[in-house]
Amino acid sequence: MSGFETIVMYLGMSLLVILAMLGASALLGPSRPSPQKATTFECGVPLLDPSHKRYSVKYYLVAVLFLIFDLETVLLYPLAVQYKALATLGWGIFFEIFIFVFVLLVGLLYAIKKGAIDW
Amino acid sequence: MADWQIDLIKVVFIWTWALLIAVVMTWVERRASAMMQDRVGPNRAGPFGLLQPLADGIKLFTKEDIIPKRARKILFILGPPLFAIPAFSTYAVVPFGDKIVIGGKEIILQVSDVNIGFLYILALSAIAVYGMVIGGWASNSKYSILGGLRATAQLISYEIPMGLALLTIVLLYGTFSLREIVLQQQGTFLGVLPNWGFFKQPLGFIIFLVAAYAEANRVPFDLPECESELVTGYHTEYGSMRLGLYLFGEYVNLGTLAAVTVSLFFGGWGLPYIDMSKFLGPISYGIASFLVFFVKQAFFLFLFVWVRWTVPRFRYDQLMGLGWKALIPLGLINLFITALLVQLTV
Repeated sequence: MSGFETIVMYLGMSLLVILAMLGASALLGPSRPSPQKATTFECGVPLLDPSHKRYSVKYYLVAVLFLIFDLETVLLYPLAVQYKALATLGWGIFFEIFIFVFVLLVGLLYAIKKGAIDW
Repeated sequence: MADWQIDLIKVVFIWTWALLIAVVMTWVERRASAMMQDRVGPNRAGPFGLLQPLADGIKLFTKEDIIPKRARKILFILGPPLFAIPAFSTYAVVPFGDKIVIGGKEIILQVSDVNIGFLYILALSAIAVYGMVIGGWASNSKYSILGGLRATAQLISYEIPMGLALLTIVLLYGTFSLREIVLQQQGTFLGVLPNWGFFKQPLGFIIFLVAAYAEANRVPFDLPECESELVTGYHTEYGSMRLGLYLFGEYVNLGTLAAVTVSLFFGGWGLPYIDMSKFLGPISYGIASFLVFFVKQAFFLFLFVWVRWTVPRFRYDQLMGLGWKALIPLGLINLFITALLVQLTV
């Protein structure tokens, strides 16, 4: 048994209980709708302008940088699991990791130098 | 009993246990906060206010469920479950104890010992980000959207140092199974120290802990929901049990992070220097290992509260600076050093 059936059972339990919680709250709670209740919260004043407007590009820049570095971590995981076995064969695997990490470190320094992370 | 019956009992028990820890944690948090600020805290419902979480739960269940007129309806409904389901499901791979023998059957005290336990935790914690950003965006309120954006940028930034710290652990133990990692941490290291990940990876532990606080949106990194600027951030427009799912999900996340810290860096269920399985019976050993794990986990849960009243909140540029300019380079260097050490000792 690989154990994944149990994980599916666990996910199913999470789904069921959470749906039951939402259902129970819909049943137990009162329902007295009024136009005032359905307004958007804005510190007691009437809504000034729409909220979906353009936000700082910094957030998107961080997301792009994240993609690069997260992909790098993902690529290193299979190597890390097998590292001990491969290390017995010699220093080749160590230099592979070293070059990989070094290139990324230089890339990160470049991004910092260019001010990609300064807010 | 058949195997699937045992599995079902484990699933129900651990799920309830995780929820119970989260519920009691809401009480501990308020009582400990009060203690640290020289107040009394909630003390009306039950002895020492112990029934306060129950009262809060009943309140959340019986509140009116409001969907704001300007909200994106489908996404607004989708947000809380998308956040809560991954948060609740992460416990499935946490090893809560060694093993227990009942009626000649050996039962591992872990819901499922899959060989990719590590990746499962990382994947689920990444999915939870969607719950926050979708909830914030769908609310169509300025506070929610800003909170959602901040949460996304913060969580994805700190996922990288966390991933790097976990990578060094994988490098060291050569497995993705949390149970295997805990088993490798029994015994002593250099003759005197317990053979814990903390002593082998002190830098990795610090990076992991800082990233864990950022991932859980806790003080000093609680910018997505800082009350003085954003009301409550991405869940400002939510009410009744939808809000409850966000709040409970966060406390369940705390429990998971504490449990992962214990299993990776503090030897899981094992006591240092003492091998409990030698002088305890098969059933009492199972219970004892479960309790040891719980005590360690409780310490890290208390640390969350402790830090909350010790450290002031970061500014947003400081937060991003710490993540990208300090933790990620440190994580990469730590990875390099660990690779070198493993190469030298093989």
